[in-house]
Amino acid sequence: MGIFFSKKKPPSRVTEQDKAILQLKQTRDKIKQYQRRIEQNLGKERLLAKKLIQNKQKERALLLLRKKKFQEQILSKTDGQLENLERMVHDLEFAQVELKVVDGLKVGNVALKKLNDLLSIDEIEKVMDETREGIEKQREIDAILSGELTENDENEVEAELDALLAAEVEEKVPEVPEDVILPDVPEELPEKKKERTKENTREAIALEA
Amino acid sequence: MAEIEWPWQYSFPPFFTLQPHSDTRAKQLAAWKSLILEYYRVTKQAVVDIREVHSSPLFNNNAINRKLPSEAILLILEELAKSGNASPLDKTKQRWLIYWHTLEEWGEIIYNWAQDNGFIGSVCTLFELTQGEDTTDQEFYGLDTEVLIRALRTLEANKKAELILFDDNQGVKFF
Repeated sequence: MGIFFSKKKPPSRVTEQDKAILQLKQTRDKIKQYQRRIEQNLGKERLLAKKLIQNKQKERALLLLRKKKFQEQILSKTDGQLENLERMVHDLEFAQVELKVVDGLKVGNVALKKLNDLLSIDEIEKVMDETREGIEKQREIDAILSGELTENDENEVEAELDALLAAEVEEKVPEVPEDVILPDVPEELPEKKKERTKENTREAIALEA
Repeated sequence: MAEIEWPWQYSFPPFFTLQPHSDTRAKQLAAWKSLILEYYRVTKQAVVDIREVHSSPLFNNNAINRKLPSEAILLILEELAKSGNASPLDKTKQRWLIYWHTLEEWGEIIYNWAQDNGFIGSVCTLFELTQGEDTTDQEFYGLDTEVLIRALRTLEANKKAELILFDDNQGVKFF
């Protein structure tokens, strides 16, 4: 056995708890085997008792039945023990699960702490202050720049605006020059003209056909 | 013990004599190999002892009064060993283990069972695996402990399990 364990190169992943669980389970197996044996015995003894009664050996049958009863009691006792063992195994296994949960939480905690260290409050405040300062500076620059523009170019800008407005007004209301001579109203009736146009259209149709 | 359905060769007297012609012999050995594996699978046995082999109906057909000679049995067992279906238990090659699944296959079957039943990360006794109430419908129920340990060793080599053997405790932890 010693050779077997020393031969192993990688560290065993079997913990002491695992061994304890194994031992418990092994005991459980033994009890189960024991129960199997008793159950078989019980079956045999029942048959035997029947035979004895058939052979009118009442005393011996009674003795046998007493023995059977005793064994039945043992069986129910072992059932109780079995339950205890199983509960123990479950408790152990559950404790291991809990351990894993705690381990997991620990790892998460460490990681969170590391992240928090990276993000210290002082630093965040510093960054926020700097950002605020930066924004204020930008605003100042904006103010300065826009102020300069009004002083220098305000007049020009206004003049351009006026010019644009004036142009628009001109477009909307074109001025009519006064010295334009309008043609006189024709004295002839317009009907003749109409006939002529009709003839023209007829010719065009004939040509096309 | 379940009854095996004997193949036609079993009632064929020349089957019990090693054939001199190489083609015939190859066929004969192949038939014997599958018969042996089938017989051990049905009867859930694992060990062949060549010295006691003639008490087994497998190599001794009383109906036709034929026995397979020990040399032939050894030859067949060596053939089986080549395909990973048998291995000698001692150096004199008198006792053999028969694997009607190869050890790797057994390992996989057991590991799949452990996976399906949530036994990964927990400990099982070997008794629980081959005799327990959870495995009665499994193929490895009633499997020989030696074969089981060897199969689990293949899992151990793949880091899927670790055997726990101390004092008289025999168990395995699956990973």
